[in-house]
Amino acid sequence: MIRFERRRVLCGAGAALLAMPGILHAQPAPFRFGLTPVFLDNDWQLLDFLRVHLSTKMGREVEFLQRRTYKEVTALLLMGEIDAAWLCGYPLLQNIDRLSALALPIWRGQPNYSAKIITRTGRAVQGLEDLRGDIHAYSDPDSNSGHLVTVSELLRQNYRPEAFFDRSFFTYGHRNVARAVARGLAQSGSVDGYVYDAMKRAEPELVANTQVVWESELFGFPPIVATRETLDSEPVQSFFSALTTMRESDAGQAALHMLQLDGFAAPDAHSFDQIAARMRIVAERG
Amino acid sequence: MVKGPLLAAGLLVLVGVLASHLVLRALVNTQERHLREMALLEFAGVEATIGPFLVRDDIWEMFDLLDCVTQREGALQPLQATLIDPLGRVIVSTAPEVNPIGTQKASMIATATPVAAEHYDLSVGEIALSKVLQYQGRPLGQLVIAFDTTGFIAERARTTGFLIAGNAGATLIAALLGFWLMRRVLRPVARLTDEKGRRSDALTPIPDTAIPRRNPEVAKLYDTYNGLIRAVAERDATTRRLADRERFVSLGRLAGTLAHEVNNPLGGLLNTVDTLRTYPERADVVKSAADLLDRGLRHMRDVVRATLDVHRDAPERRPLTLADLEDLNLLIRPEAERRGQKLHWDIKLAEDRVAHLPAGPVRQIVLNLLLNASSVAGYGGEIGLRLEGEGNSALLAVQDSGPGLPEHLQSRLLSDAPLEPGGGVGLRLVRELVQGADGRITLGQSAQGLQEIQVHLPCSGVGGQDA
Repeated sequence: MIRFERRRVLCGAGAALLAMPGILHAQPAPFRFGLTPVFLDNDWQLLDFLRVHLSTKMGREVEFLQRRTYKEVTALLLMGEIDAAWLCGYPLLQNIDRLSALALPIWRGQPNYSAKIITRTGRAVQGLEDLRGDIHAYSDPDSNSGHLVTVSELLRQNYRPEAFFDRSFFTYGHRNVARAVARGLAQSGSVDGYVYDAMKRAEPELVANTQVVWESELFGFPPIVATRETLDSEPVQSFFSALTTMRESDAGQAALHMLQLDGFAAPDAHSFDQIAARMRIVAERG
Repeated sequence: MVKGPLLAAGLLVLVGVLASHLVLRALVNTQERHLREMALLEFAGVEATIGPFLVRDDIWEMFDLLDCVTQREGALQPLQATLIDPLGRVIVSTAPEVNPIGTQKASMIATATPVAAEHYDLSVGEIALSKVLQYQGRPLGQLVIAFDTTGFIAERARTTGFLIAGNAGATLIAALLGFWLMRRVLRPVARLTDEKGRRSDALTPIPDTAIPRRNPEVAKLYDTYNGLIRAVAERDATTRRLADRERFVSLGRLAGTLAHEVNNPLGGLLNTVDTLRTYPERADVVKSAADLLDRGLRHMRDVVRATLDVHRDAPERRPLTLADLEDLNLLIRPEAERRGQKLHWDIKLAEDRVAHLPAGPVRQIVLNLLLNASSVAGYGGEIGLRLEGEGNSALLAVQDSGPGLPEHLQSRLLSDAPLEPGGGVGLRLVRELVQGADGRITLGQSAQGLQEIQVHLPCSGVGGQDA
């Protein structure tokens, strides 16, 4: 495991900033990057590494704006309050006329992840039918893996999602879904496969008594999104460039290491086809 | 003299126990206050935050909030928090396995202690406190928080241990000090007790040199004690004089009888002397007169000897014989005849058993009682003596046909109460003689209905014929 010394990385970044007198004189507007705890939990050390790498590469300050839900961050993005956001494919497609994917994280060599349904360890579950009557934990109403996939899968199997579970609630965080199931607050939960696996490595005690009882097909990884009108702007392109060169700085590598990601890449045209298919199932039901 | 100091020491121990109890009670009160303050803070914190979550039915935020409460470490850690709606159903609980969402848990509210209660039960390691939460003036439901009170129990156990050790030590020291002080204070009294215990029958006054005049109270106590000793000695002397006088009083009573007994044959004897003077030459008359004189004089000698035996100053320590009983019969019979009384004489004790009784005391006892019996039986009455064995003792029962021994005379015979002036003079003498012979006195009735004064004397009083 690579260990990064935060102080060394931050000092290096400071020295790099001082070596760029043009930047100091120009004082460009800070780049505002939106995040939600749905996907990325509040880890100040990770944000520090990201900030150092991005601001160094972009030559401008980077500010992080955090909101609780995808909906709030999406609204900020649509209103121009932020320049880019790390969203989910589902809210991206919900606003595809205004928003565009800028970059996709690469996880285990590919820009894909799956949705998972988890229960407590030891529970015998053959299929979704066995989850009928559960108290179920979703992450966010606008999360693909944390809501859309489970609802659409139930519809696909001819269940009525609103009557299938005895009760359901949103935790606004994939990590919280795992906690809710592990603590017994919910008997089952819809969780992001990437977050769940990352937790197994980073916080094994939190997911120790949970098990995956169902896993979906692969979807395009939650993308970095910008508005279509700003997509070709210098700050956004500079941001894209900084994202795709994360491996070139210590801070970037440290951030990737903490995120358990390989890097960022440009999306292709069909990255979110599977999510769109899931959305159609829900839309068809009305 | 140990009882007083021990009592003082015991009182100090009691004070120690009481003080320990008060300290523990104060500790419990402090713990209750501490818990109440802590609980009110927790409830207030939750109440200020949870309202909007509850309105939005945001299960996770409510759970997360309550979970944060229960994650607090340190003393009085909240173990579990459960929010229950007004219908008694669980809204959310930090122990969802025990209290799943939506389950009926009205019983939890019923068993929980309201946080505003006057007292909490801190005897077990956990206590559930409840409070109705309000949001915008509307009751949201009841929050029940279970607090870990094992720290309180441990604190009480530690305090109890310290108290037991500390108080035991302090009480022991105080008790020993109290014991010593009390001993010191009561030393004069202890000396009196020692004086009393040294010779139980002969109390001796405390010498004047030994009286601490610097301590007026003790000196007064000793003076009073000495005065008491003197008073007792004077009373004993008076009693002895009275007993002597009683003996002579009974002698005086007997004197009349004695004079009668001597006088009766005396006329006949003088006549016989005249006969002898008139017919000195007639051998048959002389012989007859001499025989008559011999019998008369022997009778008089017997009467006088019996009287002397009874009233000898130092009663001889010889065994009783049947002859002594015949002497008594001889002495009382004239008195009975003089009063026209019938005399019963029933001696059932064998000679060898009789010999185990002391002659002197028995003669005086029987004579005094018989004289009293004759006195109370009145003219034409009945008196008597019954002597028989009862186990290892002999029973001497003196009978009379009188109305029975009056109350004030019973005390003379049966108790050591001071003598009141009046009749029954010989009765206290009888009591002293009986006590001296290790016997006892009871009152009863004979089979014929006669009143009886029963004297029970041990047969081992004299060591046999020669004792």
